[in-house]
Amino acid sequence: MPTARTQDLMRFLAERFPLEKFSFRSLVQKKEVPLHKMAWAYYLGGLALFCFFIQLSTGLLLLFYYEPTVSDAHASVEFITHNVSGGALIRNLHTWSSSAMILFVLAHLVTTFAMKAFEKPREMTWISGVVLLLLTFAFGFTGYLLPWHQIAVNATKVGLQSIEEAGRYLPGELGKLPGQIKELIQGEQSVGQATLSRFYALHVVILPFTLCALLGFHLLSVQLHGMSQGVDKATNKTEAFFPFFLLKDFSLWGIGFLVMFVLALCLPFESFFSFPLFQPFDPLGSTPEGIKPEWYFFFVYYPLELLPFWFIMLASTVALGGLFMTPWLFRPANRRTLAFLACAAALYLIVMTVFGQNIYALFKGSQ
Amino acid sequence: MFDVFFFVGLPYIAVFTMVAGTIYRFRKDRLGVSSLSSQFLESKALLWGSVPWHIGIAVVFLGHLIPLLAPGVWQALVARRAFLITIETLGSCAASLCLVGLVILAIRRFASSKLQTVTTAMDLVVVNLLIAQVVLGLGVATAHRWGAVWSTGTTTPYLWSLLRFNPDVSYVAELPALVRVHLVGAFVVFLLVPFSRLVHMFSLPLEYLFRPPQKVVWANPRRLLHAHAAVAAMESRRLFLKASFGLAGAGALLSVGVFDKFLGFFRGPRMTPDEEAKLLKTRLDRLQLTVEERELELERIRSEQIFVAKVGELSPKDGKYFIDYKMRPALAFRDEQGLPRLISAKCTHLGCTVASSVDSTNRLLCPCHMSYFDVKSGAPLEGSPAKAPLPLLGWILVDPNGKTVASQGPDGKLEGKPDPATLDVCSVYIAKQYEEA
Repeated sequence: MPTARTQDLMRFLAERFPLEKFSFRSLVQKKEVPLHKMAWAYYLGGLALFCFFIQLSTGLLLLFYYEPTVSDAHASVEFITHNVSGGALIRNLHTWSSSAMILFVLAHLVTTFAMKAFEKPREMTWISGVVLLLLTFAFGFTGYLLPWHQIAVNATKVGLQSIEEAGRYLPGELGKLPGQIKELIQGEQSVGQATLSRFYALHVVILPFTLCALLGFHLLSVQLHGMSQGVDKATNKTEAFFPFFLLKDFSLWGIGFLVMFVLALCLPFESFFSFPLFQPFDPLGSTPEGIKPEWYFFFVYYPLELLPFWFIMLASTVALGGLFMTPWLFRPANRRTLAFLACAAALYLIVMTVFGQNIYALFKGSQ
Repeated sequence: MFDVFFFVGLPYIAVFTMVAGTIYRFRKDRLGVSSLSSQFLESKALLWGSVPWHIGIAVVFLGHLIPLLAPGVWQALVARRAFLITIETLGSCAASLCLVGLVILAIRRFASSKLQTVTTAMDLVVVNLLIAQVVLGLGVATAHRWGAVWSTGTTTPYLWSLLRFNPDVSYVAELPALVRVHLVGAFVVFLLVPFSRLVHMFSLPLEYLFRPPQKVVWANPRRLLHAHAAVAAMESRRLFLKASFGLAGAGALLSVGVFDKFLGFFRGPRMTPDEEAKLLKTRLDRLQLTVEERELELERIRSEQIFVAKVGELSPKDGKYFIDYKMRPALAFRDEQGLPRLISAKCTHLGCTVASSVDSTNRLLCPCHMSYFDVKSGAPLEGSPAKAPLPLLGWILVDPNGKTVASQGPDGKLEGKPDPATLDVCSVYIAKQYEEA
């Protein structure tokens, strides 16, 4: 006879993973998507997924020519861009779609929060989503280094150095720990071949496999539980997942692809930066001006520049902990409150990303 | 004289007659501008004759019209072998389709006694003329190949000279007889348009392609219900067909583009020797840089002392970059006493490399986050993101005879006193002994 605790655990698992619904009938034929004023948000996760597909296919193509060594990485990227037929297009598509993926993942996070999609029994879906978000950022961070140009290497250095910074707030011998963690990540004393090799391994093998596995779990639980009701007063207006919702999903993917394809064809992502930043990394020269992380790190980068480091550490720990604990922290909240919080978060992200530079100049002076 | 009649007079007469005659027929009897239908009398052979003929002639007509209207574009297109072969194959297939259709139509006219009663002499002239014209065209395509290319320098400028009312027969004077007969045949066809069933080409019922379907039913309540269902089904089928055509077209375009790009991607670039040499040179240079860096690393593991510069090469304003024992960048200056001053160039904020020259107030700048450091002490200035000073490095001064004349530890303690006279030729070294364990 199982104990009460075991029974509780069994019940918990049975509610989160209703595998009796794992049938063609309930996953495809019976699934309904609610229709209400927030229904557009049901498409954001799909768009992020689509971007991941683009990343996967263009990334595989780039693998044909990319060489992960400090002497050849930059030359091989230039070779792809200038010599290989369609190479520039594929590389641009990879960069544009990476940005789009981050954008859609963030939008998906904010909207699912506002729609309270983390409510029981969907806690595990939410948590896997948060991990997927972190993985996506890890993709961005590791992939940024691979072209091995000035901005790539220097931005990576800056990013890794901020880990070491944390050591100043730890007592005694513990203060050395972040420095050691940093060296563990970069593989040697400064960013070099060892860093490139492991970032390459992470970006190309480890992260994709992890992400695929977790994505499978995430999507399966979404399908098992169905779409969350999304609004406080459940509507009885729905549409069939198959074929109507799926067709709309696909047509959005088509539009998204067209937009990204045209962007990739007409506007290299690099055109937003000045040229010297794309020269090969020179370990003996000075750091060029204008080193910045990718735009999707601005929301933590500019505060890091302006506020004391301990505050950022504290705030990001609280924020991350909050994200993981959301299903339990916000259990009693209604969707009005959640939408308000989500709007505030979105506002913060947008303002910091778009006007971060101006805010920085405002407080620090442009010197 | 002969040329002037067939290639200047005839075309103008033909086109003028066609335009004037057609307008006349439209004005005189609008409903008569058609090909008198014989579908009621015979429909089976008509289907197998008329449909291939019209599909074929539409393609062939476009194949003649586009090069005429956009000669530049056309020339660029046919310069590509794949396009040329495709277009010639397509044209020949369409012409064969025309021929099959016309022959069936001609046989039909001769074979059916019902049809013979409504067939005029002009109908027979037209069908035979068209057969001759198609045979001639196919003959040109096979006997004088790649007409899509050579026409751009011959018939196209000739036709344009006609259109500009500045006829120039020299373009066609030297052409093979087959081509010239084909041209004359075309003008005769134009000439016959207003006098024959050919006039129906100007009353093409294009709106039939787009108007909603109609179904004629008896007005009877029971049948009406069925009719509604039938119309709905027809409408839905039309929508489905339209969507399928759209998707198939888009898919075909997409796959052409994708294959064109991606096959090239897999095939890899085909570079000229020049490009190849340039690429190899770049790669060798990069390898060279890596080799140098690795050598520096090796030197730092093996040697007790590492040469930085001669004292004379150093200046108080513009620092010289070198690499310290931990492979980090550092800067060498000359201080007020004329002695070396070595300072780490790795910003203590987030590890960027600081710029090498000092400004008017003796400050070093890290460009990443605008940290300023005092060059004497390495201390960060008020308001800089960096809080810790740039560490000073110890050095050893060796005179040209290899004798150590002075040294300074990282703590700034000076030992020995160099002779100012030979100071400039002394060498500055960094030493392993000054590295903290």
